[in-house]
Amino acid sequence: MTSAEGTPAPSILSANRVSKSFGEIPVLFSVDFDVRPGEVHAIIGENGAGKSTLIKILSGIEQPTSGSISYDGRTTVLPPNGEAEALGIVLIHQELNLAEHLTVADSIFLGREMRKFGFLDLRQMREKARSVMDTLHVRVDPEARINMLSVADKQMVEIAKAISRDARVLIMDEPTAVLSVSETQTLFEQIRRLTARGVAVIFISHKLDEIMELADRVTVLRDGQLIATVGTEALTPDSIAQMMVGRELSNLYPPKHEPDVDAPLVLSVRNLVAPGVKDISFDLRRGEILGFAGLIGSGRTAVAEAVVGLSHRVAGSVAVNGEAVNFTEVAQSVAAGLAYMTKDRKGRGLLLNVGLQPNLTLLTLKKHMRNGFLDGRSEAKALERAVRRFDIRARDASVRVGQLSGGNQQKLMLGKTMESEPDIIIMDEPTRGIDVGTKQQIYHIIAALAAEGKSIIVISSEMQEVIGLSHRVVVMREGRMAGVLEGAEIVEAEIMRYAAGIKQSGEDERLSA
Amino acid sequence: MSLKAIALALTATTVLAGAVMGQDEKIRIGVSIPAATHGWAGGLNWHAGVAESRIEARNPNIDVIIVTADSPADQASDIEDLVSVQQIHALVVLPFESEPLTEPVRNAKNEGVFITVVDRGLPDPSIQDVYVAGNNTELGKISADYFKSRLGEGDNIVILRGIPTVIDTERFDAFMAGIEGTGITVLDDEFANWNRDDGFEVMQDFLSRFPDIDGVWAQDDDIALGVIEAVKQAGREDELFIVGGAGMKEIIKGIMDGDTLVPVDVLYPPAMIATAIDVTVANFTSNGPVQGSYILGAPLVTPDNAEQFYFPDSPF
Amino acid sequence: MSVSAHETTRPSRGFRIDLKTAGPLLALILLCVFGYLLNPLFLGEGNVTNLLTRSAFIGIIAVGATFVITAGGIDLSVGSMAAFIAGMMIIVMNWAVGSMGVSVWTVLLGVGCSLILGIGAGFINGFLTTKGKIEAFIVTLGTMGIYRSLITYFADGGTLSLASPARDIYRPIYYDSILRIPIPVWVFIIVAIIGWVLMNRTAFGRYCMAIGSNEHVARYSAIKVDRIRTLTYIIQGLCVSLATIIYVPRLGSASSATGVLWELEAIAAVIIGGTMLKGGFGRIGGTVIGALILTAIGNILNLTDIISNYLNGAVQGVIIVAAVYLQRGSFRAGRKNKPAE
Repeated sequence: MTSAEGTPAPSILSANRVSKSFGEIPVLFSVDFDVRPGEVHAIIGENGAGKSTLIKILSGIEQPTSGSISYDGRTTVLPPNGEAEALGIVLIHQELNLAEHLTVADSIFLGREMRKFGFLDLRQMREKARSVMDTLHVRVDPEARINMLSVADKQMVEIAKAISRDARVLIMDEPTAVLSVSETQTLFEQIRRLTARGVAVIFISHKLDEIMELADRVTVLRDGQLIATVGTEALTPDSIAQMMVGRELSNLYPPKHEPDVDAPLVLSVRNLVAPGVKDISFDLRRGEILGFAGLIGSGRTAVAEAVVGLSHRVAGSVAVNGEAVNFTEVAQSVAAGLAYMTKDRKGRGLLLNVGLQPNLTLLTLKKHMRNGFLDGRSEAKALERAVRRFDIRARDASVRVGQLSGGNQQKLMLGKTMESEPDIIIMDEPTRGIDVGTKQQIYHIIAALAAEGKSIIVISSEMQEVIGLSHRVVVMREGRMAGVLEGAEIVEAEIMRYAAGIKQSGEDERLSA
Repeated sequence: MSLKAIALALTATTVLAGAVMGQDEKIRIGVSIPAATHGWAGGLNWHAGVAESRIEARNPNIDVIIVTADSPADQASDIEDLVSVQQIHALVVLPFESEPLTEPVRNAKNEGVFITVVDRGLPDPSIQDVYVAGNNTELGKISADYFKSRLGEGDNIVILRGIPTVIDTERFDAFMAGIEGTGITVLDDEFANWNRDDGFEVMQDFLSRFPDIDGVWAQDDDIALGVIEAVKQAGREDELFIVGGAGMKEIIKGIMDGDTLVPVDVLYPPAMIATAIDVTVANFTSNGPVQGSYILGAPLVTPDNAEQFYFPDSPF
Repeated sequence: MSVSAHETTRPSRGFRIDLKTAGPLLALILLCVFGYLLNPLFLGEGNVTNLLTRSAFIGIIAVGATFVITAGGIDLSVGSMAAFIAGMMIIVMNWAVGSMGVSVWTVLLGVGCSLILGIGAGFINGFLTTKGKIEAFIVTLGTMGIYRSLITYFADGGTLSLASPARDIYRPIYYDSILRIPIPVWVFIIVAIIGWVLMNRTAFGRYCMAIGSNEHVARYSAIKVDRIRTLTYIIQGLCVSLATIIYVPRLGSASSATGVLWELEAIAAVIIGGTMLKGGFGRIGGTVIGALILTAIGNILNLTDIISNYLNGAVQGVIIVAAVYLQRGSFRAGRKNKPAE
């Protein structure tokens, strides 16, 4: 383990050997972390590496299972529920926490409104808000409503809120994920102003170039372990990516069986434009597993939803088995043998308050009809089959799906999708938030399906997964295709370079297989 | 500004004002009544409308403005609008409820508007110039008199009441006082909300509960219509009679035709609104001012006099 | 909850006793016992017949409301819709009597008019909520006011009465019995059975539950959400139409006071029966029991004079809340009874 060299200014906030488990599942292992006044300290790592958990512990939202937090040189227990803000530790969430209908001034003083004679002192709050915005050199009217502001301005409001609270430690979770380049630059200027005033900033980002530009030190996490804390000057984006990747592929992933070179194309997408999707073209062969990698919000889900008819296609063409199609409803794509499995299993995939059987057959109820009526026996048989095939484990069939573990929910959703007997399956984050054992099961199921001649698109934010499963990988960035990787090119560092925008494929010459 | 300019301005204003007056010297009479949400109020609206066209046809310089309200608050706003926007000279008001409307009517009075209160009196009678009302106590008493004339010791009756309000209580108390000491037993009373369906259901239950009923006081014709159906369903038309109230045209017609199930009715006519408007108009068209209370009787409608209370065109 | 590796799913077969229906049923039985103790006539044949017949209106409407609510909607317009349809039926039948004389066809014409209006009104509610993307509460609040004032307008603020020759032909639909069961009760029974089958044994019912439970999941599961939603309102309109067809011959009249608060009674019946107001879970059997409970309360209050008339509303309120408590309470107990694993 390395630690930053130089004058050891006393850290203002530090985590000392903190570990955290949720139930049985450990997510952080004995991590050390500290931040000094006037410093930008970036935390970097794959999804699921434990970054969010660490910043939640640092802001008091979660308490560590073991280990301790020191603030201002004293070991302390931070108060929960964001009350640490009063101590000067402010966390700005990735999905900003602003009430859309309040004004800027209202938002800045929310929860600690200024009063005069028991009434709100609107004028003073407005003026104070204006002066805070002025110190930030932000031109936002304190009386504007939050929902009228751009995302970047909303972020500035959050920062103003933090400053007005005399924040000494500002923790930002992927603040640039939704910002344009110029907005990002403005944000960075603000951050530099803050650090010049002695504020400590903890900063999570996936964009390596940004981290190189802004951070003084970088802490790399992987699988809940602290890999290194290094001064930025000693790093290159490549070396950071290398540290993030770290491990070898194990037999977590089944062996890949390359599809035949002349296997027919089952899905061809050309110049697709849709909400969040800018000019995407790709092909999928019979028996192929095509990975879609990229950062969160890079447009992978949007591509899938545009292809199956969940969102409106603006331009471009989609062909299934060589026939041009234009799905406007999911029912049509299912009928054409193309199924999409959502990443949001709780919000979009499963009915949590009913049992397994209605969930399994919801997509394909028409198959279980006899003389116009539902055939419960046929449904029950389907469930029996799915339980066996996908190893779904539940106390009994009447248990409500919301009570199942994430892994069993995921397997049930996979079963539900497969009930429609699709030839092409788009799986969005097929293993999000589930344990390693179940992940492995799902990987083997995916590989087996491909071996049977099904064609599969795997969208995943876990790079290991994309690498371990895919025959080819499309990397997306900001709604566009950043690159397509094949064979030996499919390595994490390479994907990371495309995803973070360090490398850009010149032209789409490799896109069509 | 010179004296001359001021004088000029004053003259201009006066001329203009005069022109407005001259153009619009009609007498405006505002009529504020509840909306037609049940049969009796429907009749009220109809009679008000008929009175409006009749009066306006006869007196070209009189303008009757009818507004209907869904609630006391609604009615209070209506009265404010009549006074400030329409600038009425007289207000005929049938208050939704007496208490909440006292102040709005008093304000109108203070603006110099002539006030006629209909049916439901205000707690402070000094506000009104004229009071026109049906007589709920009288209705109860006349009904009791009729029951006394047909029934006596050992006979049983049931009562279907309206909605728990002052009107209902006045009727009910007067009726109970009227039959006191006659030996007539009131088996039970239930609220039927001046509604046919409720009248039907309450009477069905009375019929299954009491094997011996000699008379039914429904005290309202809407309720009575429901009661009639329930009695017919049970096939007990021959053992009892029904007395309603108000003077609905179907009931009056039945009496004219000699119906024995509903032999009489006690009048509480929605036409009282027309009377009130007429009296108010008289204040402006007759020689002397009109003041005082006009309490309409609650006459017993019998086959002999039914015809004069029959308005086939009224919805009620 | 922990899932041990040895346990696997055993799909259930056949029927299981449904705790959610047992709760309201228990409430109804308690209410009947209570009614009988207050006045033994309560369980007399005449009274039971009256009670069942009376509950038919609210019951039939509530069966429709069960679909709307299960799919996550609400329909406040049913009471005014009933009044409006009743008024239009009477106008059409009176016109037919006047121009073509009277026959069974007069009544059939009225019935046809009722069905068309009911389905049409339901479609309008459904169309405005789905395609118009306006909250069901607002759409149906609007149509509620529209139908109520239309009936007031057509009745001139008074009462529309069916011409007596037509009335004589139509009257038996309410007052006659088949196998000692009044016709309205038969209609109620048939509507309830069809409703139950539709809800529990067809894809449509399953889709209603899915949509009410989570509209997104429904959409991602290839369900035509707008179409199913609209259909629930059409079923509601159809149920209102059927209820009106058996209502009109009872008194042969319609006025602006017809059907006032029926929407609340129907919704109350649905909720008492165990359907969730937020949608996703529908119980037709419970709804039928809910309608019976509501009617029985009024009936019991009329059969006794130990409770002051002024307190009728309070008694109703207490019983409704108690019935729902029983239903929810037994539900919770049902979960607790399962051994922790």
